[in-house]
Amino acid sequence: MPSFDAVNYSLRPSKSIQRQLVFEGVRRLQVAMNLAKLVYVGMGSIWFTDFVMAHKLLGVEDMVSIEGNEIGFRRATYNSPFVTVKVREGFSSAVLPTLYVDEFYANRPWMVWLDYDYELNESVKLDMRSVIENCPENSIFLVTFDGKDSRYGEAPERPELLRRVLGSVVPDDLKKEACQEGEMRETLADLVLEFMGSVAAEMSRRGGFVPAFRAIYQDGPPMVTVGGVLPALDNELIAKSTVGADDWPCWPLEPIRAPHLTIREAGALQSQLPCQRKLSRVDVQALGFDLEEQQVEAFQNYYRQYPAFAQIIA
Amino acid sequence: MTIEAGTKAHAYPTKEFFVKMLTRDLALSDCILDLIDNSVDGAWRSMGGGPTELKQDDGLSRFSIAISVGPNGFSIEDNCGGMNLDDAVNYAFSFGKPEEYKRDPYSIGAYGIGMKRAIFKLGAHIRIRSTYRASGGEREAFAVPIDVNEWLSTSEPPWDFDIVPDSELAEDGVRIQIDALTPEAEGQFGSEAFRQNLRRILARDYSLYLDRGLRIVLNDSPIVGWQIALREGADFAPMRFAYDDSANENAVNVEIIGGMAASPPAPDAAEPEDQAERARGAELFGWYVVCNGRIVLAADRTEATGWGTDDWPMWHPQYAGFIGVILFSAENAVALPLTTTKRSIDSSSEVFRRAKPRMRELTRKWIDYTNQRKQALEDAKQKEQEAHWIPIHSVSLRQSVQLPELIARESEPVANVQYSVPLQRMRSLARKFGSVNLPYREVGLRSFNYAYREKVGEE
Repeated sequence: MPSFDAVNYSLRPSKSIQRQLVFEGVRRLQVAMNLAKLVYVGMGSIWFTDFVMAHKLLGVEDMVSIEGNEIGFRRATYNSPFVTVKVREGFSSAVLPTLYVDEFYANRPWMVWLDYDYELNESVKLDMRSVIENCPENSIFLVTFDGKDSRYGEAPERPELLRRVLGSVVPDDLKKEACQEGEMRETLADLVLEFMGSVAAEMSRRGGFVPAFRAIYQDGPPMVTVGGVLPALDNELIAKSTVGADDWPCWPLEPIRAPHLTIREAGALQSQLPCQRKLSRVDVQALGFDLEEQQVEAFQNYYRQYPAFAQIIA
Repeated sequence: MTIEAGTKAHAYPTKEFFVKMLTRDLALSDCILDLIDNSVDGAWRSMGGGPTELKQDDGLSRFSIAISVGPNGFSIEDNCGGMNLDDAVNYAFSFGKPEEYKRDPYSIGAYGIGMKRAIFKLGAHIRIRSTYRASGGEREAFAVPIDVNEWLSTSEPPWDFDIVPDSELAEDGVRIQIDALTPEAEGQFGSEAFRQNLRRILARDYSLYLDRGLRIVLNDSPIVGWQIALREGADFAPMRFAYDDSANENAVNVEIIGGMAASPPAPDAAEPEDQAERARGAELFGWYVVCNGRIVLAADRTEATGWGTDDWPMWHPQYAGFIGVILFSAENAVALPLTTTKRSIDSSSEVFRRAKPRMRELTRKWIDYTNQRKQALEDAKQKEQEAHWIPIHSVSLRQSVQLPELIARESEPVANVQYSVPLQRMRSLARKFGSVNLPYREVGLRSFNYAYREKVGEE
C-alpha cells in the first residue's frame, strides 16, 4: 500500500520535528555557503509538507517531486502546492538521471531528500550512489529509510545483508548485536554515512562529502535520516565549520520520540518554557496531567519544533 | 645509544637499480612501445603539438617508424624530426624529468624513464643516433653510444653518457640500434609468436595514430590498424559525450564513446554461431582507455576499468558485443591517468575516478539490454542486424547510449534468479500450478509469487 494511503504525514510529530531540524540546518548552510537558486528534489507524496517548507523557509522556487505510483502521480499533480513544483512520474532510479542532464536544473545547487517509507535496500543504495556521483556541486543530500531491525531479516543474517547492500564499508567483524533492536538503527545510520563518504571519495568528488545529518525519529517504526553536503572545493571548509558548530541542530544524539499531546497539554507545557532546569514528570503532574519522563524531556528538547497543526487536524 | 647531531641515512640511487630492477616492471613488448611513443611524440612535436583528435585523415602521413626485431638485434628508426642536442645533453638521458623541463604538449612521455628503461631491458650495446634541424635551419647529427656493462662498472657520479659526432641519417629523426641482446630479449625476439603478438599489439594500441596516416613497419611489413567501430540504426545509437576536468591545475579533456559493436551472444551457448561470437568477444569487447591518442588499455574487462568493483558486475560473456572508449587528452602528460609502463591506468588518478561513474552508467545500460534481450531474442537479433557500422570518429554527440526497448522496461531494478532443481520435482510442481507443460520460467515465477504472498503479503 502506498504510504500516502496509510499515513497522514501531518500527524507525525517526531517526523515533523525532524523535518524542522533539517530545514533549520539547511537554512544555515544556505546562508553560509551562499546557495543561490537552490533546487529542491524530493518525494512529495500528495502532502508536499517538505516542499512547502522548502519554499517558505528557504525560498526555494524550482522543485521536483518524484512519484512512482500511477494514481499517486495524478493525485500529486492535483495537490501540487506551487506552480514551480514539477511532479515527475517514475521510480527515482529512472527520474534522477533525467534531472542530471536537464539544463534547467544542472549547474545549480540541489537539496535532494529521498524520503523512502521502506527499508534500505539495493535500489536505495543505487539511488544514493547516483545522487552523490551526479548532483551539482554545493548540493545537500538526505535520505530517510526504515530502521526497524526486523525489516532486515533474522538477526544472524543482518550483517551479511548489510554487506551485500552496502559493500566494502561494512566491517568484516560487524557483530549481530550491532544489528539488533535499538542498535540496528544506529548501525544503519553510521554505515550509510560511511557509504556516502566512500562513494564521494571513490569518484574523487571535488569538495568531497561532509556528513551533516543524522537523526533517528520514531512515530511508529524507527526511521533513519542521514545525509550531508557535497560542497564545491571552495566551500568545503565553510560547510565543515557550519556543520561542526556546537549548536548544529541536525545530529541529535538521542532518537526523536515526541509525545502525542493535545493542544491544551502542549500549551500548558509550553508555558513553562524556555527553562534552564530540566522539567520532570512531577512538574507535569503539578500542571494537572501526566507524561513519562522521556516524553517530558522530548517535548522540552523540541518544543520549538513541535507541530501545532497536528492537534487542529486531530 | 647516542646519535650524533647531523647523522643522516644515505639515500643514493645506484645504476644497477635502473638497469636491473626498474626494468622488471615491464614486458619486452612494452619496451618497444615505449620507444615508439618517443617517435610518436617526435612526430606530434613536428606537427606543432595540439590535442589528439579522433579522425581519419592524412595528418601524420609523412611520418614513419620502422622497427626490426630479431634474435640478433633490435632497431627502431623514425623520421619524426629527431632529438636536438640540448635535449640530449640536459633531459633525454636523465632519470626522471627535472621540474624546469618543458614537456612537449600533448605527448605521452610523462615520466622521463621510458627510453632508458627500455634500452637497458633490451641489450648491452646501444647506439642512439639523432639527426635534426637546428634553430638556424642547418642539419646536425650526433650519437650516444652506450656500453651498459662498462657504464655499470661504477656508480660514482656523474652518470653521464658520451655524446659523439655522427653522420646524418637519411631523414631527420632518431635511430636506435641495440645489439648484445639480453638473454630474455634474444629468446623472445627469436620467437615468431612474439613477433606476431607484437604486430597485434601495435595494430591495436596505435590504431588512432594509424588512422591519421602514421606508418609503422615491423620487420619490413606495415602494420594495419584496428578499426574500432560501433553500430547505429534500428534504435541503436552510441553515446559520445565530452567534458573538461583537471588534475593539479592541468586541464584534461575527457571523451566517452560507447555502445554496441556486435550482437551479444545467444543465451544458449551451445549454438556454434554463439561460440564464434564469444571467441571474437575475447579479443575486441570491453573498455578501451586512450591517453593522448595512445591506447593504454584495450578490450579491458577487469577491475582496472571497474568490472567487478562495488555496484559494477564482473564481466560475463553475456556482455560481449560492448565497446566503450574513454579518451583523456592533456597538454601536460603528467595529468593523464597513466602508469609508467603505459600499459595500464593509474586507478588512483582523480580524473579517472571522476570518469568511472559515467563509464558504469554506459556499461549498466548495455547489461540491462543484454538481460532484456533474452526475453525478446528474435526481435533483438533483427534490430541488431539492421544496425550499421560506424567508425568511432564518426559517432555523433549524444549524452547517453540509445538501445532498443524490447519489452516494457522495469523502472525498478530487478533480480534475475537461476537455480537447478530435480526435473521430476519441477514437473510435479508444474502440475500443481495447472499444467505439467508450463515453462520452467513460469513455474519459477509462480513459485516466487506464491512464496512472496505467504511470507511478505500482498502489496
